[in-house]
Amino acid sequence: MRSLRTIVLTALAAALTVALAACGSSKKSTGASASSGTPAGVINPATESLTGGKRGGVLNDVQSEDFEHLDPGVAYFQLDYEIGSATQRNLYSYKPNTFSEVTPDMAEGPPQLSNGNKTITIKIRKGVHFSPPVNREVTAADEVYAIDRVADPNVANPYYLGYLASVEGMKSSKGGPIPGVKALDKYTLQLKLTEPQGPIVVGSMVLPYTAPVPEEYAKKFDAKKPSEYVNYMVATGPYMLKANSAGKILGIGYQPGKSLTLVRNPNWNASTDFRPAYLDQINVSIGGDSNVIGRQVLEGSHMTQSDAPAAPILKLAAQQHPSQLLISAGGGAGDRYIAVNNSDGPFRNVNLRKALWAATDREALDKLRGGKLVSDVMTHFLWNGIAGFEEAGGYPGPKVDYNEHPQGDMAVAEKYMKLAGYPSGKYTGSETLQVVGDSSAPANNVAEAVNQTLKSLGFKTKLNLVEHTVMYSKYCGVVSEKIDVCPNVGWIPDFGDPQAVLDVPFNGNLIVKNGTNSNWGLVNHAKINAAMEAASKVVGVQARGEAWAKIDRELVEEAVVVPYQWAKEPYIKSKDVVGVGQFWNAGTWDYAYTSLK
Amino acid sequence: MQLRIKLGREARGALAKDRTSGDAVSQTMTRYIIRRLLWGVLLLIVVAALLFLMFRYLPTADPAKLRAGRLQSPQIIAEIRHTYGLDKSLPAQFWLYMKNLFLHFNLGYSYYSNAPVKELLFNRLPATLSLVFGGAIVWVITGLSVGIISARRAGSRLDRASMSSALVLVSAPEYWLGLIVLYLFAADIGRVHIFPGAGSYVGLTYDPVKWFESLILPWLVVAAGSAAIYARLIRGSLIETMGEDYIRTARAKGLPERTVVLRHGVRAAINPVVTVLGVDIGVLLGSSVLVETVFNIPGIGRLNYIAITHADFPIVQGTVLFAALVIIVANIIVDIAYAYLDPRVRYS
Repeated sequence: MRSLRTIVLTALAAALTVALAACGSSKKSTGASASSGTPAGVINPATESLTGGKRGGVLNDVQSEDFEHLDPGVAYFQLDYEIGSATQRNLYSYKPNTFSEVTPDMAEGPPQLSNGNKTITIKIRKGVHFSPPVNREVTAADEVYAIDRVADPNVANPYYLGYLASVEGMKSSKGGPIPGVKALDKYTLQLKLTEPQGPIVVGSMVLPYTAPVPEEYAKKFDAKKPSEYVNYMVATGPYMLKANSAGKILGIGYQPGKSLTLVRNPNWNASTDFRPAYLDQINVSIGGDSNVIGRQVLEGSHMTQSDAPAAPILKLAAQQHPSQLLISAGGGAGDRYIAVNNSDGPFRNVNLRKALWAATDREALDKLRGGKLVSDVMTHFLWNGIAGFEEAGGYPGPKVDYNEHPQGDMAVAEKYMKLAGYPSGKYTGSETLQVVGDSSAPANNVAEAVNQTLKSLGFKTKLNLVEHTVMYSKYCGVVSEKIDVCPNVGWIPDFGDPQAVLDVPFNGNLIVKNGTNSNWGLVNHAKINAAMEAASKVVGVQARGEAWAKIDRELVEEAVVVPYQWAKEPYIKSKDVVGVGQFWNAGTWDYAYTSLK
Repeated sequence: MQLRIKLGREARGALAKDRTSGDAVSQTMTRYIIRRLLWGVLLLIVVAALLFLMFRYLPTADPAKLRAGRLQSPQIIAEIRHTYGLDKSLPAQFWLYMKNLFLHFNLGYSYYSNAPVKELLFNRLPATLSLVFGGAIVWVITGLSVGIISARRAGSRLDRASMSSALVLVSAPEYWLGLIVLYLFAADIGRVHIFPGAGSYVGLTYDPVKWFESLILPWLVVAAGSAAIYARLIRGSLIETMGEDYIRTARAKGLPERTVVLRHGVRAAINPVVTVLGVDIGVLLGSSVLVETVFNIPGIGRLNYIAITHADFPIVQGTVLFAALVIIVANIIVDIAYAYLDPRVRYS
């Protein structure tokens, strides 16, 4: 628990710092740079216009994937956030073109921290109403219940202990009332903490658990095991899921794996919200073949696709319809790297890690995943749109010989093999490396290619390809398994802050042994751990960027893992749609800003 | 008069004997059906047990950890495990599962949407039934017609062309065929805009005309491969049957050739087709995922596919059990139909 709490502390402190200082931030630190390989005319969500849309019309969205958890108390997935941002109002939110600047949403303004950062007071915005059948005005009590219910096992929020453990009574709560969460009056929310971690708790308030929930309506649904509130939930944003008069959504506004329908929330008051909400209705069709639905979107009218298009469709869009293609480079997109075991086995030797880095043809790995349209060759660890990216080396990355040849360089690899104590330039140890990869395409091809690279360096390997979730939960996330190489791991931060990018995957103090470890390389270098601890306390976007850029360089120096891809997320739309993507949410379409021509 | 009385008595006696014999057959059939139904239930229990064990023992992801998300703590995982009953012993979980299944027809809840699996299945059933039974009608009519014509003109150019086409259709994967017909004939992305394309499916009760139009292409794709197989099957069977003595006798009696073929030839030759038809329909009801995906038809196959990709075990268990149930029932129906169609078949 200590480690988990540290994750949250550091990540949220960083997020808060960025948020508070965002107005004065320089583009060098947080702005999005031009990504390589993106065709001209393609939409960039970091620089898009948020105004001037035409009001009215019905947007038809298609997606192969289904949603996971639409309940704001549980939501933790890109597609769920897409719906949540149109239907729910968190205390604080991101506008679509930023991953750093936070805007008060359900909150009237910035939070007040007092009592040595142990008391948080937030004024709730007046005039916001719940959708039918609740209909009444949102009050601070609804925020209290929303926060209380995250500790309810029936709701099973996946992150609350990490972010809210310092709230009085939260750790022992099974769903409220929680002593540290109170409504002082109708519009004032107060949180009391046992430790001075106010900034961190405030930072977490961009997450959907802060969307208000009416207790008198939701409690009977939350009493079910598991909670059934998701099937009856009400909205506070400009849209709501279509429901019957009793508020039932399941089978009406949402048919799992089939469709979802958003209609205007009749109780939404535009004067209380920053979202323009141009569209009248959004129909989401779930399922279908990516090749077919991609063509329907490109050739059709008033359509968008909310998950990544199939490779042939992406190519077609880039070549013939660039204005219908959005590519989000950096921001809420993630990275991919080859995790090598820094704590056990041959790769404890830094020179062997450098040899593997040098030998890996990172361009080839990127091509296996779709090439320059959907990825940039990763040369270090912070990415575009995150403070410190340019300071850490920008797109070219640090100038070290094992990083300078993205196509791989066996001569450099041989040099480091010799430095590692293998004069022939090939590994001669007796161990057989355990390599565990993802069995689904294209990740399996990446794993095979990495396996070949290991063999070319003389390693004996045993490659085990398993289902994606099994890879994490049974092998790469389990410290005791002592996996040597995990070629298919990657990271997406919850916040647009360098600490959120680097801390959890590379801080040795955050390695957890309960089978849910996210430091897949078991990176545990005392010097780096200490530097992270110090950098977590730095305040100010520029200063934080610089501090974490230094850590980035140390991670490169130690070659803690082999980075190969900064992901770019592509989305397509019909030509008569003015699509606005969510830079903070990997570029997914923002229904509250998108409009029709 | 006496003779007439005598004949009348004999006829009544024969009638009574026939009735006794008919009752005996009926009783035998009833016993047979009951026995098959009991075996079906037993088989279903075995399938349910195997499914339960498979999802617990094969290397799958821990549902509690999946449900917990990325920033996990042991407490959260333990709470989720408790909520879903995963913290109980395996026998206790199994007993609860079987009790819910057979006493309450409760298949559990989706790990993700929290929706009852039973509701999801019933919600998807109409789409899958529409697809499969419509497709079956197309493939039976087409397959039988082509097969009979080919059998009657065996060795002709028409026969060779039909059988070659059948071979091509059998070899064409449904997924590929679906994409091809969409790119050729779909109203939105096709080169010739004729039929509604993918995602156009609506329920029968919502709009019967649109329902029918939206299923034309999927029916053709579903039917293509099976029709080809059935055509080859009926052709071979009919050619063999038409060489039988009783066919020669029928012809010798002066019956028209059409009657000989349809009433005497096809009736006997159709038995193998009936056997595979039931099983094919059963299998397709549980595994129409490819056609449902290509044409974006929200059926059971696609529900199962999405559940597999999410490791949503209750849904996977529910859909597989449903498929098993359908196949078992289809087999029983086929066996019964077989007995009625072929008087030579006797069950003891």
